[in-house]
Amino acid sequence: MFYRPESIDEALALKSRLGAHGTFLAGGTDLVVGIRKEKTRVEHFIDLTRIAGLDGVYRDRDRLRIGALCTHAALEREAITALADACETVGGPQIRNLGTIGGQLGTASPAGDVSVALIALDADCEIASVRGTRTIALADLFVGPGRTVLSPDEMLLSVSIAADRKSAFYKIGKRDAVAISLVMAAASVAPDGAVSIGLGCVAPVPLRARLAEAHVREHGLSDDAIERAAELAMSEASPISDHRGSAEYRRAMCATLVRRLLRGLR
Amino acid sequence: MSGAQQHNIGRSVVRPDVRDKVTGATRFGGDLCGPEVLSASVVRAAHAHAKVIRVDFSKAKAIDGVIAVLGRDDIKGTNRHGLIKRDHPVFCDERVRYRGDAIAVVIATTPEAAKLGRDAVEVEYEALPVIATMADAQADGAERIHEFGNVLATQLIRKGDAAKALGESDVVVTRTFAMGGVDHAFLDLEAGYAEMDGDVVTIHASGQWVHEERRLIALALGLPVERVRIVQPPTGGAFGGREDISIQIYLGLAALTLGKPVRMQYTREESMVARHKRHPMEIEYTLGATRDGTLTAAKVIIRSDEGAYASTGPAVLRKAVSHCTGPYRVPHVEADGVALFTNNCPTGAMRGFGACQLAIAYEGAVLAVARELGMDVVELKKKNLVRDGDSITTGQVIPVASAIDCLDAALDRFHWNARRKDHPAPHLRRGYGVSTICFGLGYGDGYPDASRARVRFAEDNVLEVYSGGVDVGQGLHSLLAQIAGEEFGIDASRVRVIASDTALTPESGSSSATRQTLFSGNAVKLAAGEVHRQVMDAAAVMLGLHWEDLAIKGDRIVGIHHENVATPLAFVLSGARARGFTLDSTAVYKPRTVAPTDQSGRSPRAFLTYMFGSHAAEVIVDIETGEVRVERIVAAHDVGKAINPREVEGQIEGGVAQGLGMALMEEVVTRQGRILNASFTDYIIPTILDVPRIEAVIVERADLEGPHGARGVGEPPLIGAVPAILAAISDAIGHPVEQTPATAERVWKIIHQDNAEHLT
Repeated sequence: MFYRPESIDEALALKSRLGAHGTFLAGGTDLVVGIRKEKTRVEHFIDLTRIAGLDGVYRDRDRLRIGALCTHAALEREAITALADACETVGGPQIRNLGTIGGQLGTASPAGDVSVALIALDADCEIASVRGTRTIALADLFVGPGRTVLSPDEMLLSVSIAADRKSAFYKIGKRDAVAISLVMAAASVAPDGAVSIGLGCVAPVPLRARLAEAHVREHGLSDDAIERAAELAMSEASPISDHRGSAEYRRAMCATLVRRLLRGLR
Repeated sequence: MSGAQQHNIGRSVVRPDVRDKVTGATRFGGDLCGPEVLSASVVRAAHAHAKVIRVDFSKAKAIDGVIAVLGRDDIKGTNRHGLIKRDHPVFCDERVRYRGDAIAVVIATTPEAAKLGRDAVEVEYEALPVIATMADAQADGAERIHEFGNVLATQLIRKGDAAKALGESDVVVTRTFAMGGVDHAFLDLEAGYAEMDGDVVTIHASGQWVHEERRLIALALGLPVERVRIVQPPTGGAFGGREDISIQIYLGLAALTLGKPVRMQYTREESMVARHKRHPMEIEYTLGATRDGTLTAAKVIIRSDEGAYASTGPAVLRKAVSHCTGPYRVPHVEADGVALFTNNCPTGAMRGFGACQLAIAYEGAVLAVARELGMDVVELKKKNLVRDGDSITTGQVIPVASAIDCLDAALDRFHWNARRKDHPAPHLRRGYGVSTICFGLGYGDGYPDASRARVRFAEDNVLEVYSGGVDVGQGLHSLLAQIAGEEFGIDASRVRVIASDTALTPESGSSSATRQTLFSGNAVKLAAGEVHRQVMDAAAVMLGLHWEDLAIKGDRIVGIHHENVATPLAFVLSGARARGFTLDSTAVYKPRTVAPTDQSGRSPRAFLTYMFGSHAAEVIVDIETGEVRVERIVAAHDVGKAINPREVEGQIEGGVAQGLGMALMEEVVTRQGRILNASFTDYIIPTILDVPRIEAVIVERADLEGPHGARGVGEPPLIGAVPAILAAISDAIGHPVEQTPATAERVWKIIHQDNAEHLT
C-alpha cells in the first residue's frame, strides 16, 4: 500500500499501526536505489511529502531546528559552515534537491556526510510516536550501519543544532562530487570553548570523538593540545579496509583532518 | 581537385548528429523496440573458476512468461567467439573461467519474466582454485585455465646488446610500474534488437566493426554471412569496449530460434562484470644513459593480465613491446613481454592499448634518469627524442617525427618557463609534468588492414558516401562527408552518408587503432576522385573542352579559361548517366605493413605511420591527505591535418579527461576473480568538476599517407595525459609516482613512507 498522510498525527497513527511493515518515504534517494537493487523490500510506503511544515528551518535563540523533510539543497547556503559544506558535498544537485535530512539520519550510514557535520554541531533529535515525544543526542541515534534506536512506531521529526559556533567540515572522496566519502570529519567550537568533533567512515556509525573533545575542552587549542586531540581521535576510530581505501589510511586521516579542522577554528 | 576551393577540409563543420544527441532525440540501441518484442537475459557464472557439473533449465522454463532457455546445445555453429583466438565460449560447456561467463540466455515476454527465468536456471558447479593474480598464474603447479596452460603469448624486442650497454652506462635506473584495470564506462550500455527479415537475422547493436561482427555471429549461428545483417544504431561511446562480441550472438540466436523480435540491454553492473577491461600490467624498466644525458639502453620486462580469454591480448602485448621506448632513440633494447591468463574479467582493447601502459613506464624511467643526472627533463627529452629520419626501436624509420614540435608547442602554450613555484597553502604543493609520446596507427605488423568506400551521385544528384566504418561518437561519418565533398567543392552538409550496415555498405575495418580518418578517409578520397574523373570526362564530352580546362564551382561546371562556359552540375550529371557513366565508384585503401621477425621483434614497417604528442600538466597536491587536483593540461598533438579542428579538439579533450580518470581514480578492484566495484557508485570516473581547463594545441605536419595529410587523433590524447599527470604529482611531492591510479591514499603512502618522521 502507498499511504499519503496529510499531518504528523496521521503519519504517526499509520506508523503505529504498520510498525516495521511501514516504511517512510521522503526524497527516496536511498530507498528507491535499495528497492531497485533488490536490497530493500517495502510492504507499505508512508509518503511524508504531503505533510506541511516538516521541511522548515527555525531559529530558536542559539539553536537551529531543521525539519526532517528539509532537503540538502535548502541547507547548502546556511551560514553554519560545517552544515552547508557537508550538504554541498552530498551526491550531485539532483540528489541534493530530493534527499532530506530525515532520510540522511534515518539511513544511519557511517558515510553520511551531513550526519557527521550535525554530530559536530552538538545535535539533538526530536523523535515522536503516538506515545509521545522524546529528544536524544544525535550521536546516540545510531546503533550500526543502517540501524537506529528508533522503535518501529517512531518517526524522526527534527534535528536541532548549535547555531552560534564556528565550524568546519572536510571530506576526502575519490572525486569532487557524487562520491561516497572515503573519510570525513567535522568540528565546531562554541563561544564557551566547548569543542565537538564528528568523524565519518571510520566506525560502524557516524562517530563523535569524545576523548578528543574532552582533551581540547581541558587543554584548549594549543598546538600540543591539538596534536594530542588528533591522536585521540585516531584512537577512537575503528575503520575497516574496503575497495575505497585501507583502515590504515582512514585512521591516519582522522588525525590529519582533526588537526586541520581544529587549527582552522582557532 | 583543381582550383583553390577549400570548402570542407580544415573547417569545423557541425556534425549532423549532434543536435539530436544534445536534445535527447537520438535513439540508441536500448531505445529500439518493436511490436510483441521478447526480452532476453543472460545467466552468468556464480564462480570465477569451476567445472560445470549439471545445468537444469526446467524450473526456469516453468516460469510464467518464459518462452525459451537457450544454451550451448542450441548453438548450431561454433560455440566460440574472439577477435584473435576463438576461445571465448558463447555459452560455457565444461568450465567457467570468470564471473561474467554465460551459461544460458532466457527469452521471455517481459524483461521481468526474463530476469525471473534467469534466476531460476540451476547450475551445479565444482569449484576450482581461482587464479586471481599473475603470480598465481605463474606459480608452480598452478591450475591451468586453458588446456595449453596459463600463458597466452610472449613478445620480445632484441636490438643491439642491452646488457653490455647498460654495464657501460654512466647511470642506470630500474623502476617498477603497475597499472590497474580500467573500464570503458561508455554511457550507452550494451543494448540491441534483433528480428528476422525473411531468412536473414538482422541485428541492431553497436559494435566497432560490423563486418567482423557479422563473421563471428554467422560462425556461431552456423549460417552463411549473407544470412546475417548488422545495422549499427547511433552509439554512445566505445573506446575499444565494443570490439569484442557482447549481446549480438544472444540476440541473433534468439531471433533465429524463435522467429520473433527480441531485445536486450545489460545493466551497468552486468556490463561491468561481463565486458573486457584495459590490461593491468606490471613493468620493470631499466634505462641507462651517459653522463651527458644520452640514452644508451633499455631492458623492459612486461607482464600483462589477460583475464580469462584472449580477446585482443596478443596484439596488446605486441603494441606494448613495440612501443617500449616510445619516441626516444635508444640504441640497445631488450624487451620481453608475457601475457598471462587469470580468472579475472578478460582484458582487451581500450583506447591506447599497450602503448598507454608503456608510456607510463618509459616516461617514468626518463624522469628517473633526469633526476639521477640532475638534468632538466625537457633538456633530456630533447636530446633523445627521435627527429625526422631517425628510426625507433622496431627499426622503422620515421620520416615525420614531430615529437619535439609537439613538445615545443605544449611548453610554449603552457608558458612552461614562467610556471609558478609557490605553495598555495602550507599543506599544498604545486607540481608540473610533461610527457612526450608516440603511437603507431592502424593494426600494423603485417595484419591485413583495409578500408573500402563507395562514392556515387545518386539519382537525385546528391553525392553519397557508403562506408562500413562505424561512428561511435568520434564523428567519422561527418568527416567522410567532408572528404568526399571536398573533391567536388560540395559542402559536407549536402553529402548523404550511408554507413555501418552490412547489407548496404562495403567493409571498412574497425573504428579502432586510430585508423578510420586515414584508412576510410583515403578510401573515400580515392572513390570520390574516380567519380570526379567521370564527371569531368562527361563534362568534357558535353562541353567540347578538355577536362583539364574545366572545374566544378558551386553548382556549376565552368571553363577555367573560357568565362562564357558554365553549365549546371545537375545537367552534366544527367548527361553523364545518359552517356553510360556510372558516377559510382568503390575503392579500397590497403597499405602494407610488415610483420616483425621472431628473433628480434623488429620490422622496417611495423606501422603505417607514427603519431606524436606532448602534454604539460599542473597539479596541486595536498601533502597531508594525498589528494590531487589537476589545475591545467595543455595537450599538443600532431594530427597531420585537422580535417575538422573542433572535432579534433573534442577528441583531445575527451582523451585527456579519460586519461585523468585512469591517472587518478579509475581502477577495477578485483578479489578472487570478483569485481568489488562493478557499479557507477563504486567505480569512480571523473565528473566535470574533476576536469581542469584543457587546452588542445593542434600541430599539423602533413602525413605522407593520410588524406590531405591527416593522420587521426583518437588514442594519443589519453596516452599523453596519464604520464604528464603522474610526472606533475611526482614534481609536487618530490618522489616518483609509478602506479595507477594515483589515488589520494597511494600518493599519501608515497609521501608517508619516505618522510615517516614528518607525518607521524
